Parts: sequence; C-alpha cells; structure tokens
Amino acid sequence: MEKNNKSNMKKIAAVFITAFTIFAVTACGNNEDDSKNLISSEQQEKKTVNLFGPMEKTNPNADNIARTAFDMTVAIAEQKLNLIVEYRTYTAENYKEKTYDDVTLDRARNNMDDWYLLNPDTIQILGSEGRLADLSVLESAKNLREVVKTANVVNGKLVAIPQEVVAHGLFVNKDMFDKYNIELPNTPEELLECCRVFQQNGIQTPIGANRWWLENFVFAQAYADLYNGGNTEAEIKALNSGESKYSDYMRSGFEFLKELIDNGYIDAEKAYISEAIEGERADFLSQKTPIVMAYWGAANTETAYGNTDFELQVIGFPSKRGQMPVVSMTGYGVNVNAENFEDAINVLDIILSDKALQIYTETNKVISPSKNVEVDCIEALKPLNDRIEENVYVLGSNAAMNVEQWGNTCIIVRNLLNGASVEECMAEFDRLQQEALKK
Amino acid sequence: MKKKQSKNRTNKGIALLLSIIIVFCILATVVFSVSRKISTEMSNSAIQNLSESLDLMKGTIEAILVKEAEFQKLIAQEIANIENPEGFVRSYHKNQTMVKLSIILSGKTEGISNTGELFSEAELNFSSGKTVDNLAISESYLNYMGTWAYTMKCPVEKEGKTIATLYAEYVYDSFDKSLPNGFYNGKAMLYIMDAENERLVLKPKGMGERSAGHLNLEDFFRANNILEESLRNEVFDCIKNGKNILFYHDVRQKDALNYMWAVNDGYIYLIGYVPIEAIQQEGKTVNQNILIVVIVMLVAFFLCCMVYYFNQRQQNRIRKEREEEREIHNKRLAQALQAAQIASNSKTTFLSNMSHDIRTPMNAVLGFTTLLAIDAENPVKVREYTKKIMASGQHLLNLINDILDVSKIESGKVVLNIEEFTLNDLVSSIDAIIRPMAKAKNQNFHLEVTAIKHEYLMGDETRINQILINLLSNAVKYTQEGGDIWFRIVGLKQRSSQYEHIKIEVEDNGYGMTPEYLETIFDAFTRAENSTTNKVQGTGLGMAITKSIVELMGGTIEVFSEVDKGSLFRVELEFRIPEEQADRQFWKNSGISRILAVECGEACKDIQTLMKNTSVTVDIATNKQEILHNIQQQYDMVLIDSDILDVDGVEVIKKIREMQADDIPILFLVDYDKYNTEEIEQILSMKNTAILVKPFFVSALKEKISEIQSKQNQTEELEIEKVSTLEGLHFLAAEDNEINAEILTELLEIEGASCEIVENGQLAVERFIAAKENEFDAILMDVQMPVMNGYEATVKIRALDREDAKNIIIIAMTANAFVEDEKEALEAGMSVHMSKPINIDTLKKIVKQYVKRKE
Repeated sequence: MEKNNKSNMKKIAAVFITAFTIFAVTACGNNEDDSKNLISSEQQEKKTVNLFGPMEKTNPNADNIARTAFDMTVAIAEQKLNLIVEYRTYTAENYKEKTYDDVTLDRARNNMDDWYLLNPDTIQILGSEGRLADLSVLESAKNLREVVKTANVVNGKLVAIPQEVVAHGLFVNKDMFDKYNIELPNTPEELLECCRVFQQNGIQTPIGANRWWLENFVFAQAYADLYNGGNTEAEIKALNSGESKYSDYMRSGFEFLKELIDNGYIDAEKAYISEAIEGERADFLSQKTPIVMAYWGAANTETAYGNTDFELQVIGFPSKRGQMPVVSMTGYGVNVNAENFEDAINVLDIILSDKALQIYTETNKVISPSKNVEVDCIEALKPLNDRIEENVYVLGSNAAMNVEQWGNTCIIVRNLLNGASVEECMAEFDRLQQEALKK
Repeated sequence: MKKKQSKNRTNKGIALLLSIIIVFCILATVVFSVSRKISTEMSNSAIQNLSESLDLMKGTIEAILVKEAEFQKLIAQEIANIENPEGFVRSYHKNQTMVKLSIILSGKTEGISNTGELFSEAELNFSSGKTVDNLAISESYLNYMGTWAYTMKCPVEKEGKTIATLYAEYVYDSFDKSLPNGFYNGKAMLYIMDAENERLVLKPKGMGERSAGHLNLEDFFRANNILEESLRNEVFDCIKNGKNILFYHDVRQKDALNYMWAVNDGYIYLIGYVPIEAIQQEGKTVNQNILIVVIVMLVAFFLCCMVYYFNQRQQNRIRKEREEEREIHNKRLAQALQAAQIASNSKTTFLSNMSHDIRTPMNAVLGFTTLLAIDAENPVKVREYTKKIMASGQHLLNLINDILDVSKIESGKVVLNIEEFTLNDLVSSIDAIIRPMAKAKNQNFHLEVTAIKHEYLMGDETRINQILINLLSNAVKYTQEGGDIWFRIVGLKQRSSQYEHIKIEVEDNGYGMTPEYLETIFDAFTRAENSTTNKVQGTGLGMAITKSIVELMGGTIEVFSEVDKGSLFRVELEFRIPEEQADRQFWKNSGISRILAVECGEACKDIQTLMKNTSVTVDIATNKQEILHNIQQQYDMVLIDSDILDVDGVEVIKKIREMQADDIPILFLVDYDKYNTEEIEQILSMKNTAILVKPFFVSALKEKISEIQSKQNQTEELEIEKVSTLEGLHFLAAEDNEINAEILTELLEIEGASCEIVENGQLAVERFIAAKENEFDAILMDVQMPVMNGYEATVKIRALDREDAKNIIIIAMTANAFVEDEKEALEAGMSVHMSKPINIDTLKKIVKQYVKRKE
C-alpha cells in the first residue's frame, strides 16, 4: 500500500516537472514569423475625428465625473466606429483674452474642427450662419424631448443636440441659512432680505458670482411669465415681430441685479473678472459665501460642488412665480465643412443614443434630453428637480427668438458689472432687437 | 547523554540555518545589486534615449522654422521684384502652415493682409528679440482661426533698400504632423510652450489626456502638483536662459521624468513628462524576469529542502520506531527472562515442596509396607498399617491429580463438559462433603441460597464442584475449631434472559491471610509458606486451579482477607438457562398442578419464584386461618415448613388430612439441624408424608416426588444391593504392569471374582477370540500397553464377529483421568472409563450398573 503511494507520488512529481518544463520552454519561446519586417502589421493608423470643447483648469488628482460620463459615451463611439476622437480645447487665461465662445466662432468659421461643444449663443450664431449641419437626420434625434428641439432649431434646422438639459440654480449652504434662521428665498425681495441678514452677521458678500452666470437672475425674472403663463408662442412671436420689447422683459431683472450690486451683496468687480466656478468656489466651500449659482452637474462634480462639508441645496432663482430653474442647452454641433463629416455625424449619433445617454445620465445624475431616459437625482438637487418636474422653468436660450439670449444677456450683464446703468443696458437690448428685425 | 546529543543536534541545526540564511543574504544582495545596476543602466539609457528623442524633435521643429524663414525670404525677394507688393499679398491663399500674409510698406504704420483686413505690427509682440534664420519671430498668440500662431517678419529689400516688411503667420498645428504621435508607447506627454508668455500652444489631443493642465506653465505645474519653489525657480531660470532641464517629479501619483527642452534658442519649449515605469520598462521586465528566475530557484531550493527534511524525518521516524521496537523487544526479553527465572525459581521451590510432599507419604507407604512385612501375622497391626498406607496413597493420588490438573490447565487442554445440572444436586453434594468436615472440627457450616430464579442450569458440574470444594475445604482447613463457615449462593440481576447470574461466597472467620500472600494466592507453584513449615498440608495448587477454572467459565474470583479475622472468596459466574420442556413434562406426568405452601415465610417466596417457570400453581398460606381456608380447595401436594410444628403442626396436618385425600403427599421443609428430630419422626410416621431438606429446590422436590412415587421399587432395589455385585464374575484384564495386575487380581479375588491377566492388547484380543462365548463377564483394559494399546484392542474386539464381542463390558483402566481420555475411550468402543488406581467400590458400582443392563 505504502509502496503504491510512493509510486503514485513519483508519477505525479514526474508529470508536474514535465508540465513545468514545457510551460517554461513555451513561455520563453518566440513565435517566429517568416517576414523580415520587424514592424507589426497590426499597427495601423486609426481614423480621427476632431472635437473642440471647453476645458476648466484642473486640480491635481481630481476626477471630473461630468467629463468621465462624456468620455464613457465617446469610448462607446470609438469602439463601435474604430476611430479616435481627438479633443482640442481652449480656456482663456484671463478675462482679457478671447472667450471660449470667441475662439469657437473663429475655429468653426475656419473649419478647424469636425464637431463642437457649443454654448447657446454660438449655436444661434453659427446656426444662423449656416455653419452647422442639420442633425434631425440622426436616429437619436427622434428620441429628443420637444423642448430640446425647440431651443435648438435655427432656420428650420436642428443645429445642436445636448447630452444633458442644463438647469441652472442657486447653490445654497443650508447650514448657514439655518444658523442665521433664514428661510430659503422664493422671491427677489426675500433674497434681498436674506442677503441683508447675512451681511448683518458679518458676511459682506453673500452671493459669490462670476462673469458668466449672473444673467440667470435676469432670465428668472424676465421670462417667468413668458414660459409659465400659457402664452409662450404668442409672446415670442410678438418679440420677434417687434411688437414687444426685450428690454421690457429684462428691466426688472437688471434692476434687481443692480440692487444686489449696489447693496454689495455681489462683488461686481470680482465677478467681472472671474471665470465660472473658479472665482467663487473657494469661498463657497470654505463657507464664507452662503450662495453661489451654477449648473445642475456642478452638484455632482468633485471639481465643483460635489463634495461639501455642509448641507448643500440647489434651488431655483427667485422670481415672482417663486423659485425658478433656468434651463439652457449646451449642445453638440457638426461643422458642415468638417473634414471628417460622416464620422463626426456617426459619433454624435452614438453618443446621443438612448444607450449612451442612459450611461451619461446615470453617471452625472442629470436631466436627459431623451424622453426615454430618466434617473433619480441626488438629494441636494431635489428642490430644483421638483420645479422642473412641475414644468416650472424658464429657458436661458431659445433659438426661436431672433435675438440670441444667453450670450447677449451675458455681455450686457458684464456691462452692468462694469458700471453701466440699467437704462444703458436696456438700450443695448433695444439695439439688438432692431438689428435682428433688420435681418 | 541524550540531552547532550540533542543539544549538539540543535546547535548543528542552528548553524545550518544560519549558513542558509547567510547564503540567501548574499544571493539576495547580489540579485539586488544586479537588478539595481540594470535599472540604473536602463534608466540612464532611457534618459539618454529621451534626450535624443527630444533633440530629434527639437531639430525637426527648428528645421521647420528655418524652412519657413527661408521660404518667407524667398517670397520677400519675389515681392521686391514686383511692382505692386500689396496686390501680391492680397492674392495669397493660405495653406496649412502659413495662414496669413501681411505687408507694411516702409514708412507706414499700417499695411494689408491677404484676408483683406488692415494690418498693424502693434497687434504683435516682437519684443523678445528671438529670431529664426535672422528673421524676428513674434510671441505666440491666438489667431483669427482660433488657434495658436506666431508671425515672422522679413524685410523686403530692393537694391539694398528696405521697401517693406513682410509678415507671415504660421500655426503651431502644422508641427503636429511632424511630431511623434505619442512616444514611450504613448505614455509620454508632449506640449509646446511659448517661452515668452508661457502659454501651451500645442497640446496632446487624446480623450484621456485632458487631466494634465492645458493652459500655461503655471497650469501645468498646478495640475501636476509641482509646487516646490526651488524646483520651479530652477525651471524658470532654465527657461529664461534657454537651457534644457530634466527632473524627477510625481505626476498624478506616479513617479515621472519631467522635461523642458529648449527649441530655437529657447523661443519655444518642448515640455512634458514620461512616467518612470515607461522609461524603465525594459529594466523592469529584466528585473521581473530575474525575480521570476530567483523565485523559481528559491521554490526549487525549498522543495529540495522539504524533500530532504521529509526524508530525514521519515528516516528518523523509522530509526526511532526501530529503537522503540528494540527497546520493547529487550524489555520483553528481560521480562521473559525474569518470568523464566521466577518460573524456574517457582518450579525449583515447587519441586522442592513436591519432593517433600511426595516423599512424606511415600515414606509412610514404604515404611508401613516394611512394618507390614514384619507384622504380617498380626491382623490388628496389618489393618492399622494398611489403613495408614491407604491414607498416604490417597494423599499421593490427590497430589498427582492436582499436578496433572495444573499442567493440563496451563497447556490449555481443559475442555469444559457443559451439561444440564441442578443447583440442588450441586449444593447437596457439596453439603454432603463439607458438612462432615466442618462437623469434625466443630465448625458451624451455614448454607444460604437466595434470589435464585433458575435452578436448572447448563455448566460443567464437576468443575463447579471442584471450585466449591476447593474453596470450602480450604475454609474448613484454615479455620480454627469452633469457627464459622458461610456458603452463600445468591442470584444476581440477569444480564441476559438466557443466563443466570450467580454469586457464590465462601466466608470464614479463620486464620485469614497476609496481604503479601493475597497477591500470590492464585499463582501456581507458589505458597505462602513452604510445606515444611505449613501447618496444613496441600499441594499449593488448589487456588491456581480454582482461578483458572473460574476464568475458563468466563467468571471472576475475588478474595478478601485479614489475618486472624477470616477470608471471603467471591466467585461470580453465569450459566445458560436450559430449555424447560422436560421440566414441564415431568409435572404433567406426575399429575401435580397445584401446591399449597404453608407457613414458610421468606422461603415461600423463593418457592413461588422457583416454581414460576413450571406449570404448577403455588398457593401460600401464612397463618392458620389461611391454611384452613385454602385447604378446602383441592391440592395435589402440600408443603409445610417444619417451623409450623412449633405451633400445632400435628393438628394442622390432621386438619389437612381431613380435607384432602389420603394419597395427597405432604412434604415437610426442614433445616439440616432439625433433621431426624423426634417431631419429624413422629410426622413421618403418618401416611404419605416425607421430608424435604432446606433450601428449597424444585429439583429436590421433583426427586422427592419421584422417590415417593417409586417407593415400592426402591425397596426391591435395596434388597438387590445387599448382595455383592462382583461375586462369581470372571474378568479378563489386560495390564502390562505386574504389580498393578497383582493388586487387581487380589482385589477381585477378595470380592469373590476371578481374573485372567494378559500383558498387552494383542494378547487380550487373542484370549477373547479363544474364549467361549460369554466366558468373561467383563474386560478390564489398560490403555497404555506395549504391542497394542487398549483402544486398538477394544476396536478389534468390538469388530469380532461374535455376539458377546458387541455386548461385553470393556472397562478402561487408565492413569489418564481427563475428560478427553474418557471421551477417547468411549469412542474406541469401551463401555466405561475408570481411572487408576482401581477403586473397588467404583468397580462394583460400574459392574452392578452394566451387569444389570446386560441381564
């Protein structure tokens, strides 16, 4: 019996050693190829598609979830189409430099890239110049919500499609509101009162601002009735025909903004030279500023306000109809003269498909442009989301309006920050309306 | 000694372990050094390689710049020869490299561009003084196409006079195609930075490469966490002075080699980083392979060590086992030697004792025989001498029997002869032997039997007898005169319904034994005192035989004793309970189905218990009223305790006789002490009465019933017995020993029988053949004889073709007194077995029994 066991052990050892030797010899061996060419035949150059997009300044070792979500959808397209999406970027070093929108216009007009991530004003401009391709041919365009289509149609062409419907809101430090026993504001008056109390308690500038997003205060007041009064189409028609004046809508918002500036609730000088998030983030996170404004995705992104030490809540901007989310559409557009036009269209079709949008929306916890995709939002965004669910919001951009809203209002607000009076600002709106009527 | 060896072994083990550790340390140091050296060399090589790559890229870019400058100069020359330089510029169509062409005529501040716009040098910054091929080059800027660009200005000279300045705008994107599409396997990051404004003018474009900062040098530092002031200052210094710099710094938590490589005398810089793991990939691979080889070698080494260790361990184990075996073997040998010595000593002592014991009676035999020869004429002395010779001979015989028994048991030849027996017979026979012995020494013999459930049992009655007689005779022997001896048989709880579990106790209040003697009491060939000093003579083998037999029966024997206080022997045995059909048949045949037991106290319960297994009903009457009440019913037998007679026994019996038929037997249960008293005599004189000696046994009752029922036949038998059974009989005796033959002849003659002696079996057969039919009444056949032994002779006689050969009684006479001998004799055809020496009474009984059968 023992002898048998020993014999078996010897056999097993022999098999083991043989297997090991074969494995070692195989592992060390090289597959000899008949060809003398040392370059692997697999190394083929892939097609490339150029995307031009904005880039915020990065922090070391920080992850940007929003960008990750976009990258995930692009990776699907790259794999499916066997190509590479090259990402070209621009970020202004300071306010004196050309803005992203300026550079985008230059690049698009010189056919530098295949497709672009465009802000509402550039969509309107490039769309009206006929530099953007009609995306209604995309399969994924059939799934879009109506509001998305409406906001991005220029001259009957769907010139851009977003991956998310961007809702802007007020980001508030609820802990600080609770600390000073202040209710969250619903109306402009209530916000003024909040700022007054904060200031009384030593917080000199209760609202952190940058040179981009103060216009949301204006839109919330200007278009609260237009978009929620049940007569939207007629009112827009009246504006486009010159029957009504944009300045009449905008005035109250500018006056309110002026009041905030005059009372020192907003530091106009700082805001004028600050880039989005960059200027106000530090103070907000360190709880020196209780209120800032930002887009929906900033609540999910570590590089923005995704990780706060306090209870964050995102509410709508104050208006006479209560808290009002301002919805805008940052969309992707394809250059009609793109070098890789077909590939760019195909990439867009894939990254805007329901499957890709599902991934994007789940990762970013945002509002999807597709009517087929819906996900739960984080707790901090609930107040804002509730309003949108109730269909209470204003559009920050609307391609159906003959005067581009998002970019122009932004510039005029900067004028206000730079010391222009409300009247001067209104005159500028009137001028823009007149120019538009001439076209 | 062993400790020292173990210590030496431990020291050697530690030394070996230390040696192995040192070897491994050296090996590890060598491997580490080699691998470090490889890494360093690889790293140096990689740095060299990186420098060469960067130099190559630098050369490429510089060549492009020079070519651009040369081309611009050519255009300038061309323009110099054209009458309308501005018209030439306007007609220029941009290409991928030179995207804008402008000209300012000398003496003017504004010129024109090919885009149709007015052009002014104020839009550009040439303050750095950097040149390419002697052409001034501007600071980088974002051009009208939204991309980073630079402008070189070239004077347009005609006939030694500068007539205009030509401005050509170039885009950095044009370098993109001339630079490697990712180097170090795509892991290295490459930017082009304008040294003047530190803006990154050409960046990596992959999707995953947007995390390293894209704006300017500051952004690059911030994104890559390069915050050390000294390092940053050094970098700034190098850039200021147009020098190259390479430094190690973590980028996104990975060790990386950062580079800033000056191009065109530091006009622009190639900046970026390469992760160390990418640089040292080859070194890492080599080190990994070295590590794998080392691990494989270590594993192989440890496997060898393990194999060696297990082999050593196995060998040690085998050696240890062998040592243990040898030790056990030695121990056994020593024990065997000791046992042999003890046995030898015991046997020597025994032989010495035997010598004494045998010589003593032998001496008596011989001495008295001598005296007998002298006093042959004196009948009184002859009788006295023969009596003493008989006693000595009997003692000698006992001695020899014991010796034979011991040797038989020791050699394992004893076979138990299991047969049915009754406790009654056993107790009766013991009582018959021991009571007289005790009486002779004025001792009180107490017999107690309790809680016995079955009295018919299966066992070797002879051997049980032997045990009990041994124990009891010892008790009698070793108890002083007037002492007490108790003999108890107690039924214990049955372990199995098929076995009766019995405890037998023999107790006395005699001399007792010392603790030392108790230890050896059951050993053969040993005695507490040797026979020369022993008060009571004996072989000293009785207890050894007793113990052996008890153990042979599967029982146990224990002894408790104290000097001068007495001893207690306790034997526990189990006997199989036989089938009881025969017993039931008996009661049926004898016509007894109902018995009345009168006034017998505890004994009545024993009667009921013992009779439980029979078909007989036992009623109990404990007082007079019950007796009178019960007696009215019909009983087949009445049992009356003799104690009742103290009250008014005769009256009760009369009453019973009045109520019951005269032929109903009445049995009196009496104690041995009251046996033969007058009252009993008086009662026995009454019709159909008999006595039954206590303790009560069913078998005794059955015997008594049989006795009563065959009373008349018994009378006849008694008459026959009075006649000598050997008278007139003629025997043929085969005996080779002359003395034995003579003794036999004499004894038979004394009894009135005649005997013809032959010397062996052969002669016996021949003599029987020669004899007339029925000439001999029986043949006395010795077994061990020369020529032909008794068995063969018997077989031959039985085989003869004559009537008496089949029927004649052949009595085996042999010194072989064991059961097997008897069995062998009977198998050979002998009628009965009789052991030597010849006992004439035994012979008479046998002859009587067989002659009767013959008749």
